[in-house]
Amino acid sequence: MYLDLLHALPHVLSLTNFLAVTIGVVAGIVVGALPGLSATMAISVLVPFTFGLEPLVALGLMAGIYNGAMYGGAIPAVLLRIPGTPAAVATTFDGYPMAQKGEGGFALQVAVVSSSIGGIASAFALMLLAPPLSKLTLLFGPAEVFWIAVFAMCSIIFMLGGNVVKGLISACFGVFVSVVGSDPIFGNDRYTFGYLELLDGINIVILLVGLYALPPVLDLLESPLKTDTANENLGTEPIWRTLPRMMRFWKTWLRGSLIGIWIGILPGAGGSMAAFMSYNEARRASKTPESWGHGEPEGVAAAEVANNADTASALIPALTLGIPGTSVAAVMLGGLLIHGLQPGPMLFRENPDIVFGFMWQFLFGAILLLFLGGSLATNSFAKLLKLPRPLLGSVIIVLMVIGVYSIHGRMFDVYLMLGFGAVGYVMDKLKFPLPPVVLGLILGAFAEENLRLSLRIGRGDWGILFANHTSQVLVALTIAVVFGPSLKRRYWDNRKSGAQG
Amino acid sequence: MFKYMQKTALAAAMVMAAGAAWAEFPDKPITIIVGFDAGGGTDVMARTAAPFIEKYLGAGASLVVKNVPGASGQIGVTEVANSVADGYTIGTYNLPGMMARTLDREAGYTADSFSYLANVVNDPNVIVTSKASGLDTMEKLIAAAKAEPGAITVGMSSLGGDDHFLLTKLGKVTETEYTIVPFKGSAPARTALMGGHVAMGILNISEVADFQDQINVLGVATAKRSEFAPDVPTFEEQGIALESGSMRGFVAPAGLPPEVEAKFIEAFDKLASDKDFAAAMAATSNPVELKVGADFKALNAETLDLAKTVWETSPWN
Repeated sequence: MYLDLLHALPHVLSLTNFLAVTIGVVAGIVVGALPGLSATMAISVLVPFTFGLEPLVALGLMAGIYNGAMYGGAIPAVLLRIPGTPAAVATTFDGYPMAQKGEGGFALQVAVVSSSIGGIASAFALMLLAPPLSKLTLLFGPAEVFWIAVFAMCSIIFMLGGNVVKGLISACFGVFVSVVGSDPIFGNDRYTFGYLELLDGINIVILLVGLYALPPVLDLLESPLKTDTANENLGTEPIWRTLPRMMRFWKTWLRGSLIGIWIGILPGAGGSMAAFMSYNEARRASKTPESWGHGEPEGVAAAEVANNADTASALIPALTLGIPGTSVAAVMLGGLLIHGLQPGPMLFRENPDIVFGFMWQFLFGAILLLFLGGSLATNSFAKLLKLPRPLLGSVIIVLMVIGVYSIHGRMFDVYLMLGFGAVGYVMDKLKFPLPPVVLGLILGAFAEENLRLSLRIGRGDWGILFANHTSQVLVALTIAVVFGPSLKRRYWDNRKSGAQG
Repeated sequence: MFKYMQKTALAAAMVMAAGAAWAEFPDKPITIIVGFDAGGGTDVMARTAAPFIEKYLGAGASLVVKNVPGASGQIGVTEVANSVADGYTIGTYNLPGMMARTLDREAGYTADSFSYLANVVNDPNVIVTSKASGLDTMEKLIAAAKAEPGAITVGMSSLGGDDHFLLTKLGKVTETEYTIVPFKGSAPARTALMGGHVAMGILNISEVADFQDQINVLGVATAKRSEFAPDVPTFEEQGIALESGSMRGFVAPAGLPPEVEAKFIEAFDKLASDKDFAAAMAATSNPVELKVGADFKALNAETLDLAKTVWETSPWN
């Protein structure tokens, strides 16, 4: 089973593939460092361009970007208290106070080392867990896949935090978009208005580019952020001198890695949640919790290790079952599909070099992060925050349009993308979360198709949905996710009022 | 100096343009419109066949593949039907899909919209069962279907395709009934079959040749055994008259100039006996069955008739 993993290694080490990962990591750090631009956005803008590339080159770029962006987000988080990516919010808690104390350089070094460790742990998790899980996927028939889709949608709506009703509305919009196109069973047209271009449904990449890339770019253009507040003197020491001071974080690294990996595997939750959980747990375990929030380097370590530890592991359900747990995984799946790689157990059998090569690329990306994001590079990346925003914004818009056009070579898709961009802009302003839209589009289609297939297999008997243990476990998990948070809250309230009374 | 060069270039261009009007077909690149993404079965067929067609068209012919994916090839084939019939645009064509679409939706073309050049690939259907079902012969399968009509679930890639038509034929010939479970494509159907979530499946031989240890392949719907799985008997051998498959070939818009059409037909005829071509197609899991010109047209008409009967007795949407 793991032999294929070794076989794939030489392919990854070829110059072009290695170069792709390197470029990806650098690009990822850049994108992550620019507030508003996220890994999802960068990869979705990139996917259409990878069409003509070798699959491993394309995937290497994506793996690199993902890893790089998760660290890059820490740079403005530390220096400006602006999280570069949503996943870096927890990094601001202690990173910014550190920068104010003149320890910004050290904070970034802690961030890069922790990110790298999280990424490495996650890559190992993907390598070790995905192959055996891919054998189990034969257990997942239509009924089970239906439940996974339902579970994932519930967890993104109820666990994302924020307003549940808004999450639900976002998810419903995504599910509605998934209905467009031909009916999965009978092939009737639905909401296509006679356009053949809509018959295959709406391509996830088009939706993603519009929804994720346009609103932040418009934001970038309408509010020229003051960027000169960054402290010029980062107080950077060479990394080999600071490294011994970080060794005491090993417990936090271990805990954060495990949390990140677990959150990554769970469909629905993403990097930001992993970072928050890791931060909270680390603070709870700390002997000096009072120093947290005032520039405790361990806090940066906790947040950064976890938001990188969910990168590769988020691909475990995506590669084995074809069900992406996060929006980044969703775009990556889109990238795989563009190269004719159908996720699922067959992927491991028919394209072992690519799948396992992809896993290696995650590992190398994480290791490279340590070198590329090292002390000298960190200083130059920090300068990025001074790039003229209008220039940046217009370049990205041009890339988006070219990219989307090149997927199928038609303007129709570009208009569609701009339309979604407008919707995304409004949603963004009204504080509707965007991830549920993306997952609603993918999971809604999964849920519908598989529900109808299982009902056909059961010849109309709804009992088939609860017929075996896998389904029953998934139903139980779904119920836990939906009612768990409110029950927990009630429990805490009771205890509080009990203590008062 | 520069002006002089400009003038020469202009003159040269004019001479070339004048020459073109007199030159024999083809004197410019021929576009092949492929209705699917690059890398799919139809695309691989077009790209594999292109250099051979170039060779037999002669006179430095060059073929350029243009992918116009979407709607199961509908967008591409509609573009072919509506393009200029000068031989410089041809396209890939899939049976029975392209004809079935003229029945179940308002297609932008009919059977008369094309000049039928050649069918190149015929990927025959196979009937397979899951190991868990215990139905490892056609006899057992048919007995089980008769014992309880509709009890056998059949996974397939879609409704209104070759697999659906084969099942309808099977039902008619053996007087049995089945429950159809149309997955989205053959890969998920095959996975469900391997996991035992459906009892039976109808796929194509190229999709199951490598999986014979994990599913029972009961028979293949061709006159002769397929070279992809020589140990799988035909249905003919088992006393059931069934022939069906997924076919891919090339068409041009209707009304090609006769000499251009003749040139294509001649090229495809030569393709039939090219050993290198056969080897290249076998390497990409494409079972070759060439039917050129009038034969292809007849095959198309026959498929349309079959699709019509299925549509009239049991419409799928």
